[in-house]
Amino acid sequence: MGKSANPADLKQMKKNDMILAAALVALACVAFGGMAFYSRLTTKEPEAVVSLDGKEQGRYPLSENTMVEIRQEDGSYNILQIQDGEAEITKASCPDKVCVRHRSVSRQGESLVCLPNKMVVEIKNGEDSGIDAGIR
Amino acid sequence: MKKFLQAGILAAAVIFLVGLVFLQGRNREPQQYEGTFFGCFDTVATVTGYAESEEDFSEKLGLLEQKLTYYHRLFDIYHTYSGMNNIKTINDAAGKEAVEADAEILNLLKMGKEMYSETGGKLHIAYGSVLSLWHAYREKGLADPRAAELPPAEELGRRAAHTDIEDVILDEQAQTVYLADPQMSLDVGSIGKGYAVQKLAEYAREIGLEHALISVGGNVCAVGGKIDGSPWMVGVENPDLESSNAYLAAVELEGGCIVTSGDYQRYYEVGNTRYCHIIDPGTNMPPQYFSSVSVLAEDSGIADALSTSLFNLEYDEGASLVEDMPGVEAMWVGKDGEIRQSSGFKADEKK
Repeated sequence: MGKSANPADLKQMKKNDMILAAALVALACVAFGGMAFYSRLTTKEPEAVVSLDGKEQGRYPLSENTMVEIRQEDGSYNILQIQDGEAEITKASCPDKVCVRHRSVSRQGESLVCLPNKMVVEIKNGEDSGIDAGIR
Repeated sequence: MKKFLQAGILAAAVIFLVGLVFLQGRNREPQQYEGTFFGCFDTVATVTGYAESEEDFSEKLGLLEQKLTYYHRLFDIYHTYSGMNNIKTINDAAGKEAVEADAEILNLLKMGKEMYSETGGKLHIAYGSVLSLWHAYREKGLADPRAAELPPAEELGRRAAHTDIEDVILDEQAQTVYLADPQMSLDVGSIGKGYAVQKLAEYAREIGLEHALISVGGNVCAVGGKIDGSPWMVGVENPDLESSNAYLAAVELEGGCIVTSGDYQRYYEVGNTRYCHIIDPGTNMPPQYFSSVSVLAEDSGIADALSTSLFNLEYDEGASLVEDMPGVEAMWVGKDGEIRQSSGFKADEKK
């Protein structure tokens, strides 16, 4: 119980130091792991989100060229094509074909709408165009 | 003493790190959400707004859908609904009896009659007999494009004889509407949606959406600005759908509305000519002046009525109508793509 620490105390201290250091490292790992995971969750790649009557049906990354047939029970359909980072409707069963004539979309918030089929393709996580809504 | 110090440092470090992780995890500033629904006014409705959680937003979206469905039914000319007198009820009773109507219907029709005189009859809510004939020919033409034809001029003329706005008799005391001509009918398609969207924006505020952008097929209405204080940006789409230029102009909205009428969304073709869904009461034909006309105004009902009217008016007449109305601005896009704007129309050129 003197003023100077005895060897046993020192040993004890070292052990505590080790525990402290280990705990800090572990916490830091958890924290940074959590942050990395969080940011991976929030920064996603551009994708075309297909919905029918307001219900999401599927998501297709714009980075992969693909052709999707969006067919409904009553036989109506829209064909979505993703090519070179852009989405467009190439064929549809609707009478007006407004969705087919529409230019391809790739930027944040742009959409393809087929009113007769109640189908919407919306671009999420796309390049920001600065537009919150289009009016047509 | 040293132990206490160490324990203190350890505790502080733990609190700091846990706090950091906690803050990261619950970075719960209201998030921006977007939702769509169909079934109202034959178009798609999109609402962008902020909420604490996705559930919170869907709940609000559900309330908005209910509200808009109510207006849709009230202004429906094709169906009746149990327990409700709507526009079809009034049309069905034309020449027979006055129909007790909801205050919203009386308000709408009153506004329609006012806009009729403001626009020299270019906004015409009692034009149903002519519009229904065009509707039938358009539907037939879309279903079988090769057999598409125009309604015969004599038939159009015969029907146009039953479109006197003075025969729409509103009794605000008794809360009734009476159509004095048995062959006439109301069609509020050029104003009903705008009126409903205006009411929807007011309702959005009531249910706690202080910052929202509501878009219902060509009608966009802003509730406030964005949550960060900046205005909403609305892009007026290029009527030339094949052009890679998606937007012709970007308009800032902080409250207020923009409504676009165009000939490139709803139309049919006879020969190689496009006949859109908007019919000019002056000629009983679809006007061929513009590809689209957009109107900015505080009230969405007014903006809706005016965009239809301007679509039906030659530029000079339309421009003087706009300049006479305070707080109203417009942008005309000609068939050749030429863009003209009223003096106070503020927009960024947009790609």
